[in-house]
Amino acid sequence: MSEQFEQGVEALRQQIDSRISSYFSSCVHCGLCAEACLFYTETHDPRYTPIYKLEPMKKLWRREHTFWGKLGAVFGLNEPLTEQDFADWETLVYDSCTLCGRCSMICPVGNDITYMIRKQREGFSIAGYAPQGMQEATKRALKIGSPMGVTFKTLKAAVTHVEKDTGLEIPLDKKGADYMTLFSSMEIVNFPEYIASIARIFDAAGISWTVSSKAFEATNSGIQIGNREAAAELVNRVVIAAEELDVKTVISPECGHAYTAIRWEGPNLIGRHYPFEVVHILELLEQLKNEGRLKLEGKNNIPMTLHDPCQIVRRGGVVQQPRNLLNSVAVNFVEMKDHGVMNWCCGGGGGVSANERAEPLRLRVFERKKNQLEETGVNTMVTACANCRIILEEGIEHNEMDTEVISLTELVAEHLVEASKKS
Amino acid sequence: MIAEFIDGPLWTFSLAVFVIGVTWRIVTILMAGNRQDLSTPRGSASSGAIRTIFSRSLYERTAATRGRLLQIAGYLFHLGLFALLFFAQPHIDFYAERITGFGWPAMPHWAFIVSTELAFLGLLLLWIHRLLSPVTRLLSDLDDHLGTILVFLVMLTGCLALAQSFEALRLIHLLLAELLLIYFPFSKLMHTFTFVMSRGYTGAAMGRKGVNA
Amino acid sequence: MIRQTIPPGSIGVYALAWSLLLLWLLLLPQQSLAETKQARGLPPPAVLNPAADLWRDIRQRDMPTTGTTQVRGVDSGVLINANGDTWRKFRMEQLIPVAGYLLLGMIVVLILFYTIRGKVKIEGGAADKKLPRYTSYERLIHWFMASIFIFLAITGLIILFGRPLLIPIFGKEIFAVIASASKEGHNLMGPLFMVALILVFIKFVRRNIYQKGDLSWLLRGGGIIGKKHVPSNFFNMGEKSMFWMLIIVGSVIVVSGLMLIFPIFGQSREWMELAHVGHAIGAILMITVIMGHIYIGSVGMEGAIEGMKTGYCDLNWAKEHHDYWASQMEKRGEAIPNEAVNRFSDPDTNKFLGRELEEPGK
Repeated sequence: MSEQFEQGVEALRQQIDSRISSYFSSCVHCGLCAEACLFYTETHDPRYTPIYKLEPMKKLWRREHTFWGKLGAVFGLNEPLTEQDFADWETLVYDSCTLCGRCSMICPVGNDITYMIRKQREGFSIAGYAPQGMQEATKRALKIGSPMGVTFKTLKAAVTHVEKDTGLEIPLDKKGADYMTLFSSMEIVNFPEYIASIARIFDAAGISWTVSSKAFEATNSGIQIGNREAAAELVNRVVIAAEELDVKTVISPECGHAYTAIRWEGPNLIGRHYPFEVVHILELLEQLKNEGRLKLEGKNNIPMTLHDPCQIVRRGGVVQQPRNLLNSVAVNFVEMKDHGVMNWCCGGGGGVSANERAEPLRLRVFERKKNQLEETGVNTMVTACANCRIILEEGIEHNEMDTEVISLTELVAEHLVEASKKS
Repeated sequence: MIAEFIDGPLWTFSLAVFVIGVTWRIVTILMAGNRQDLSTPRGSASSGAIRTIFSRSLYERTAATRGRLLQIAGYLFHLGLFALLFFAQPHIDFYAERITGFGWPAMPHWAFIVSTELAFLGLLLLWIHRLLSPVTRLLSDLDDHLGTILVFLVMLTGCLALAQSFEALRLIHLLLAELLLIYFPFSKLMHTFTFVMSRGYTGAAMGRKGVNA
Repeated sequence: MIRQTIPPGSIGVYALAWSLLLLWLLLLPQQSLAETKQARGLPPPAVLNPAADLWRDIRQRDMPTTGTTQVRGVDSGVLINANGDTWRKFRMEQLIPVAGYLLLGMIVVLILFYTIRGKVKIEGGAADKKLPRYTSYERLIHWFMASIFIFLAITGLIILFGRPLLIPIFGKEIFAVIASASKEGHNLMGPLFMVALILVFIKFVRRNIYQKGDLSWLLRGGGIIGKKHVPSNFFNMGEKSMFWMLIIVGSVIVVSGLMLIFPIFGQSREWMELAHVGHAIGAILMITVIMGHIYIGSVGMEGAIEGMKTGYCDLNWAKEHHDYWASQMEKRGEAIPNEAVNRFSDPDTNKFLGRELEEPGK
């Protein structure tokens, strides 16, 4: 039995708090959560039942927190958690769960199964049973500052490019600005239009903002792989940069898990309250619109539908804002069948997109999104998460569908009443 | 002698095991403790907890075919069992005599019979489903089956004793109910109480985020 | 990572274990009764019953036996129900012995049949592919009906045969307990059989409508008498006939049963007697047929119960017994390799399942 495995079990043991104890005590094995999980509904493999993915943690809980378990342990009747369990469950825990949180919404006894899987990953990552791709992404994030290996130099290049395109200045390291904006690597590399869009919106709304050269990366691989220390380190970089620049608010970009990381998990990871606020870009845009600082003109009459990113909507609480924003720029907004907090995941969240070996399964379960989209009969899908966007585009390409994926922030920017026109 | 034992000491013992056991289970769960959430809340945790404790009982329409069946059978069983356990005349008389010292209005006899039928319908459907569905076959362990069997036997012997004219039938029913009470704190049957905690914790966490879970 | 679970085949074992457990439970009171039992009295002295003459006078007179009374209610004017005696006689002297011999006869026939014919094997051996046959909902309502049926059959038979068969074994005191328990249980579970019957009817009726090819199956002995297999549709004529028997006789049993447990719809005693006769005859008939059904599913035929257990049936079995259906399914590419079935054994995935054959018999 290796030392690393022992550490993993210890990490897992520490996760079992009142919440998880009550969850395991309540589960009656009804299997309803399977119906909420796209990995089950698309494959009908019973092993993809969400609560089944928690067998290793349940084993530990049963042995150390229940009467029969303790009794059995004394007489050596029940087998302890083994390294083989970690090996067997690694793919279930990482490849077939996007931490989308749909199962947590359906469980009749109210178990937050997603929370449990997130916590179980703490033990798995420490024991060394995490996918290669995610381990490397976490290493890059800690060493270089971005899971995709994007450095400040790359950002600088993108910023220069955007500045040239828009004719606007993107303020770097401006002390005392109201807002500090974060980006996800995906946006910097694949969707620089996002940077241009917020530059134009902020200019039009007259917002004092800045980008930190020390912490511009919003994504957090530590959250996805389930490594508390790595996650805390990545959050801490942002907090220190925000404190140094003395900003009032940090803006989380469109990326989904970045929002969960910085907004909800962050303070708990670093163990203190922030001296600043954290808002999601959509929350801010909606607020600006309501305050009358963001003026929009013209409405798009192309039929559009909205893909709710799990971590922003279901797990983040930004539910109504994207709908209000989309309705203010589009006349033909069609909701999907299960929308809002019950929306189906794109299939690439929770680190699955960084996990190469999960790709065939991910493309297979994309069927759910495909059907959902086809039901609406709409060919334009708006979303607000760079990761969702990439995954959706890959799925659409794989299925040879004729669907365009656009970012909500970019769509809003297109309908901006430019500052020059206002005067 | 057996009759007196079932009616007297065993009843007291099983009730004691039940009360102490359930309390002990709940206390140990609470003792594990939770970390304080430091993030700035968007909504209220307490109102989220209360909302979820109730709203999780509502029908979830997004669940597919199998989910519909599970939910309907679940309603039938739980509501039927609740009604007959607490509002059937024989049970109220028993509680009044042995525990509370006072009774309360019972439902009419026909409603007692109907709720029993519904509870049986739900329990049988859920149990057969547990034995047939690949998902529940993978998940279920001995505890799940033992709990179901005990509840089923208690209900069945209760229905066999419906005529209330044979002491022996009443004693069998009571004996099984006592076994159920003894088994209760060590089993999944604990969800009867812990579901409030589970829903509460989840509801609080989601309520802070401003999500109606 | 494959966990030990209870195999679906154990449902039958379960049912058996249940019945035994139930029987054991019912025997428990023996002990407590033995304690409270009074000293056995002497046999009652032979005294002429003074009411006997009155009884005979009223029952055997040529006038109507109904009088008038101010008491309002069904049959309240009847002093003595003359038909009651006829009914009682029928029950004791005809129904019970005939039903008993019928059931025994069926058991003997099945044993004989098994010794002569043996287990009907899948001739081609088990195939490496399976066909999805029943969805989990279909299996659920089938086993739901089966469990209710077995419970009702056991309690019903105890009520019917208790006096001649069980009293000699257990004695009157204990039989009184068993009888009371059986009667209450039978009454309470009865209405659930109606629910099961309705669910099964709705789900299976379309596949049980007689089609071309059914008759030739029957004429050729259904394949179970001769050695040659005869092709049939999703259900063969035997299964279809059993289905309709179940529905028609089942409805009689349900309606008469409801008349017996709810004497509140103005039914007279004569109606109740009639209902009882219908209920008993129907039930005995049904138990006899279902014994054959259980025989085929358990020891009579290899692979027959697979579909109801797992949702999938063996391809070779399907070809030998339901060839029209099997070949259509195979043509549509519905056959699934065994290992895939073992892994994803939920036939709900299969979108063709439960769909009718468009052109029967082709």
